[in-house]
Amino acid sequence: MSYFNHQSRRAFLSMCLKGGASVAALTSLQLQAISSSMNNTELTDYKALVCIFLHGGSDSLNMLVPLSGEQRLHYEQSRQNLAIADPLTLNTLTQFEGGVGLHPSMGAISSIFDAGQLGFVGGVGTLITPTTLADYQNKAVPLPNHLFSHNDQQATWMNGREKVSLNTGWGARMLERLNQHNSFTSNISLAGANPWQAGIETTPYALNKSGVMKINSLTGYQPQVDHVKSIMDRLLSTQTNSLQDAYASRLSSSISNVQHMNTLLEQAPVLTTQFSDNSLSEQLAAVAKSLSISGQTGNKRQIFFVSLGGFDTHDEQVTRQPALLGTLATALAEFNSALTELSLQNSVTTFTMSDFGRTLTSNGDGTDHGWASNQLIMGGAVNGQDLHGTMLSQQVGSNIDVGGGRLIPQFSNEQYFAPIAKWFGLNDSEINDIFPNLSNFDAFSMNLF
Amino acid sequence: MKMRVLFLLVTLVLSACGGGGSESSTPTASPQLPTSDESTNDANTANSSSPPSSPSTEPNDDTADQNTSDEIADTQNISTSPVVDIRLPGDVVRKGSVITIDSVIEGSTEGLSFAWAQISGPTVTLAGADSASLTVTLPSASSINNESYTFSLTVTDSTGMSTYTETSIESVNAMTERQASALMQQATLGATYSEIQSASGMSESEWLDQQIALTPTLHMPLLENYPDRDNPSHINRIDAWWKASLNAPDQLRQRVAFALSEIFVISDANTALRGEPEGMVAYYDMLLKHAFGNFRSLLESVTLSPAMGVYLSHLGNEKANAELNIRPDENYAREVMQLFTIGLNELNLDGSIKLDANGNTIPTYSQAEIAGFAKVFTGWTFAYSARWDRPSRNYTLPMHAFADYHSMEEKSLLGGEIIPKNTGPHESMQLALDNLFAHNNVAPFISKQLIQRLVKSNPTQAYIARVATIFNDNGEGVKGDLGAVIKAILLDEEARKYTSVQLYSGKIKEPILVKLHLWRVLNARSELNRYYTWNLNTAYGQGPLLSPSVFNFFRPDHTPNELQTLGLVAPELQIATDSNMISTINGHYGDLVWRMAERKTTLNPNTIYMYAQADIEMLTNNGLPPLLDYYDLVYFAGSMSDTTRTALVDLDSYFVNRDASLRVAQLLYMISLSPDFNYQN
Repeated sequence: MSYFNHQSRRAFLSMCLKGGASVAALTSLQLQAISSSMNNTELTDYKALVCIFLHGGSDSLNMLVPLSGEQRLHYEQSRQNLAIADPLTLNTLTQFEGGVGLHPSMGAISSIFDAGQLGFVGGVGTLITPTTLADYQNKAVPLPNHLFSHNDQQATWMNGREKVSLNTGWGARMLERLNQHNSFTSNISLAGANPWQAGIETTPYALNKSGVMKINSLTGYQPQVDHVKSIMDRLLSTQTNSLQDAYASRLSSSISNVQHMNTLLEQAPVLTTQFSDNSLSEQLAAVAKSLSISGQTGNKRQIFFVSLGGFDTHDEQVTRQPALLGTLATALAEFNSALTELSLQNSVTTFTMSDFGRTLTSNGDGTDHGWASNQLIMGGAVNGQDLHGTMLSQQVGSNIDVGGGRLIPQFSNEQYFAPIAKWFGLNDSEINDIFPNLSNFDAFSMNLF
Repeated sequence: MKMRVLFLLVTLVLSACGGGGSESSTPTASPQLPTSDESTNDANTANSSSPPSSPSTEPNDDTADQNTSDEIADTQNISTSPVVDIRLPGDVVRKGSVITIDSVIEGSTEGLSFAWAQISGPTVTLAGADSASLTVTLPSASSINNESYTFSLTVTDSTGMSTYTETSIESVNAMTERQASALMQQATLGATYSEIQSASGMSESEWLDQQIALTPTLHMPLLENYPDRDNPSHINRIDAWWKASLNAPDQLRQRVAFALSEIFVISDANTALRGEPEGMVAYYDMLLKHAFGNFRSLLESVTLSPAMGVYLSHLGNEKANAELNIRPDENYAREVMQLFTIGLNELNLDGSIKLDANGNTIPTYSQAEIAGFAKVFTGWTFAYSARWDRPSRNYTLPMHAFADYHSMEEKSLLGGEIIPKNTGPHESMQLALDNLFAHNNVAPFISKQLIQRLVKSNPTQAYIARVATIFNDNGEGVKGDLGAVIKAILLDEEARKYTSVQLYSGKIKEPILVKLHLWRVLNARSELNRYYTWNLNTAYGQGPLLSPSVFNFFRPDHTPNELQTLGLVAPELQIATDSNMISTINGHYGDLVWRMAERKTTLNPNTIYMYAQADIEMLTNNGLPPLLDYYDLVYFAGSMSDTTRTALVDLDSYFVNRDASLRVAQLLYMISLSPDFNYQN
């Protein structure tokens, strides 16, 4: 496959996309062979990013809460029955008025925080440009489209920009910029299709959280398997129409990718770290397993996507939020322990995203869709034990409240992403390129690494 | 239902020409008679013996009734010109059929000459044009519309007196089996061979009308408890869904309800509704009942459904309490607009997005309207609750209102409409739903999604506009007639494709509907008649009322990576992930190869088996080609490609010396994953 240089490969893939040739005709191994001829010499170290998406819009302003003083009074006045009574104290390196308290159900991560391997990012959200309350009210600056809408804001977070005609996620864009996208094993989702990992030339490989997936019809007596497979390959490589071709190429690549992944996963060592019996822990266990075989994949960069749903706490927040945040913290602690076991804690960075923050005001027993949020980031490379960005004052009717306690972000989420992208290996101009609104802000104000 | 004969119009024009015997000195003078007598006959017994028409009978309003037992046209006695009755072929005249139009002459036919001619309609060859009976081979269907023909007959006697008559007929489609199968891929949960056979010969609209008229098969009567349990559990409602979906005769309704369940989403996958199977089934039954009803009633029933109230948290939603910083829950207010009625942006009738003078999209609502609707949806809780704080947890009746907990503040609606303060819960609800229903987005927004669920992923704007027009007015001035909308969708040229092959037609089938299709054709059942299919979401990426969120399993605007440059959407491919696709084909393999009843020596009473005896016999007795023809019809609606057919032949060559049941199983498995079968053209 050495005759495939980068240009011709691009041209070929482009032709495939236009229907002129079938991607299905290429097995993943062929694609891998193509990619291995590409120049990866710039990257010598191995790094992986793990995105934990908290679906539904986490009330993250109730994950980090003020401990004392005026800020605490504002908080309790705003939050009423939803206020967290007994937060854990976080001794952040940066001091904030009123202090920083952690939701008590998240105790599992406090030791990681204290060890400097976990930090928080405060007051971030989707923004086009810095925005004041007057700007918002007077429509004096462009605002993100469809604020407070789940799927739109999820997409904006995952795309790292507003929707355009051809949408890609910033995770995929990073891989493509670094030419690290050519093996399907570089882009793995435990939560199915998602915008963050969808690129022009890459889509996430959806790994089953149980790992190895046997293909029943391709298991057993080899001559029969070979015959059945040859018929399948014929059916799945025939050109018909665009929709049908898309289905065929999906199934074709799924079969070859799963077979390839099975071979790798069968070599995975058994970890001593125990993961809990919940969806997020199981997903992160599968990520840990994939990371344990990263040496065999030859990837220098990998991105992983996992998700936890249920954060849309319009009701029963008092019982639902502690359970959700407890699950998150436990899963993070387990994953951190697995990374330590694999000696990968400095190479893997794990971070959260979510649709939006939620209202400071209550609707009785829950909260509604808001804007500014807090996030967390974990890894040996991270400047932990701190809160980056700011601790927003949780005061209804303040000069950052657009109504009902929907707070204007003081930092763009692109300011949160930029240092992550830099750590991942992109240079400044590439970063400004993949985050088009970043130039409206101080790009590297957050010292995350 | 009695079949209605369409447009059997007989037009009569009599004239007396030439001949010395004429009373009239002006040969061209017409008798003072009505020149035409149109009657729409409700006849279904056209072949009964026809009495000679009474010469003295004047046409009157009873003519139609009098003629219901025959197809005899009125004739008038005029002078001595021949008295001619026309007898049309009975019942409904079908396209593609050979019809004979007889003339019946009162008295002797001696010396008469006959001359038939075609006056209008697609040109056909006239056989027996100079005889008493005209025979015509009508062309087969080239469109969904009825085709009109007019023929004339001139009967001249030996004296030169002649009678001229015109006869109009309207021919109606008769679906071939393939056409029936194609329609039923869009309009059922997977048609069986016998269902295809009974639909063939009918026209598309006759079949749709018949389906629409069927009594709804509700799921609640099929909800059976797990043995030794007092109450049904989640799996029992899945069981009920299978039973109804597999066996209900009202397949169109079941298919439309399933489509509606993917627009008006509730889910018991990891939600509080998991423990409320009756509430879930009641919700699905509500969708079934409204499937061909009015959208406005559907919207109200969705809104007042306690299951929806719990899912989107407007059940128990209270008016504001400023002191406690509590304001109404905005969840339902937002989603009812974004997902159930109007969407985020102002739309044109054809579904395209409206732009303002600066080329920007125009949001349909802002936070003010969300807050307004949130106030509307306050004060509602379970029916027959003793008190607001003592909810009854009755999940099967529509919610009831407690006025004390309803916001009496002013409420902002769409388009600047305001519900004045001190308006109670019921009135507010009506005003708010009327306000939503009146919005111009509803027709294109809902029409497009229904087209996408039933027919194709990428409808043209013209198609959307045609359906949305019917949504806005069913022809009788009624907006929101879903029965009319469904018919408009399925009868549209873009769905039926008589004249042209459209670019980007069709859609990828939903995996659960693929499974259902196989199960219906193969009569899937367990000996205990239980369908306990656990983990449909894990195995197929979807299941009935099992969406991971109110945004459904996939979004209507999902553009998969492969189709980005073409700008096409393929919503169903959003769940076609590696793990879902492999578990789906594994599921098919398990069903078709491992659980084919004929391949088992003993059957486990709880296990669901496929029954393929007919296929096996066909293969054994008649060989592979007829079996593939049959598969082409039932699984591909006649669109199995040569490639697929050859591949199946080659697949079978490996197994040709094995048991016929294994050969059938392998063929079915390969069909189940084939691109041809997974694409609904």
